Amino acid sequence: MRKIWFFMVLASLVTLLFIDPEDSINAMMNAGADAVSLTIRLLGIYAVWLGIIALVDASGLSGKIANLLDPVIDWLFGKTDKETKKYIALNMSANILGMGNACTPTGLKAMNGLDKQNNSTTASTAMIMLIVINATSLQLIPTTIIGLRQQYGSTASSDIILPTIISTLVSTALGIILVKICAKIHKKHQNRVKK
Amino acid sequence: MSVSVFVTPVLIILLLLYCAKKKVNCYGTFANGAKGAVGLCLDVLPFLVTIFVAIQLFRISGLAEIVADYLGPVIECLGIPRELTELMIIRPFSGSGSLALAEQIFSTYGPDSYISRCASVIMGSSETIFYVATIYLSQTKAKRLLYAIPVALIATLASSIIACLLCRVM
Repeated sequence: MRKIWFFMVLASLVTLLFIDPEDSINAMMNAGADAVSLTIRLLGIYAVWLGIIALVDASGLSGKIANLLDPVIDWLFGKTDKETKKYIALNMSANILGMGNACTPTGLKAMNGLDKQNNSTTASTAMIMLIVINATSLQLIPTTIIGLRQQYGSTASSDIILPTIISTLVSTALGIILVKICAKIHKKHQNRVKK
Repeated sequence: MSVSVFVTPVLIILLLLYCAKKKVNCYGTFANGAKGAVGLCLDVLPFLVTIFVAIQLFRISGLAEIVADYLGPVIECLGIPRELTELMIIRPFSGSGSLALAEQIFSTYGPDSYISRCASVIMGSSETIFYVATIYLSQTKAKRLLYAIPVALIATLASSIIACLLCRVM
């Protein structure tokens, strides 16, 4: 992440030096302003979702969902406390239902919980698992894209649903398997270093 | 109108009814939950600025296109149409950026063409990997992500290849 960021910025700035040096600083300022306006929009969206999630929590539903998903969560994330489990369960349900904007606040809360148990500057396997699951998309019905296709006059805007479901499942399954394998390799490697 | 537009509102209605049954103070609970958003956004903002700067520079410097030109043949070898290279590059970084590219593809090739269908499935089955990793990390003391990003990228690439295959046969 650090390296990618560094090289992206450095290479872009050097290139811009030759084409349009004036534009580079403008672009950076615009990017900053864009990020702020996005955050403000997100603030509203997150507030609404966190409000709804608080209702889910208070009604006792989140505990029920967590119990339902308990075996899955145990297998994916190992032992975690109840509170974190609840947020992971909500994050996964929001992902599957395609409520993209509800995923982030729940995911961040779950991440917070996992971090408290981890207490290290290196991400734990559970944290990596959560990031990978969220970064490989679990959404089954791509509502935004279907809407966009309709807007452009598609005659069969939803015929992409089935391929999307298959492809999403493949990416998430592959992500989970790879994390499991990498975690094993990493553990072995660390044991060797310790010896 | 597809069925999917009803999912979220119906779920919220059911939730409200369930809360009423359980005698939850909906008004207070909702407000209390919403409060949490302020802190979240404050944590996320600096990281968003940081990643946005890199994406913006990368795009306006023309490097994105250059990289796309070089990667085009590689992408094609994997069975993904060459026209989708830039989409594949921007997708892990920016949701709105890749959506804009998808719109371009729809209007250039028509939404029901093979290329547009591939673009749709790729968009639908992938996520903004770097964005997710950045904001999730903003919540933690952890600085090192180990293999998280390579794994997510490989999984996404594999699913994109499968997406294009599926669009051919389905």
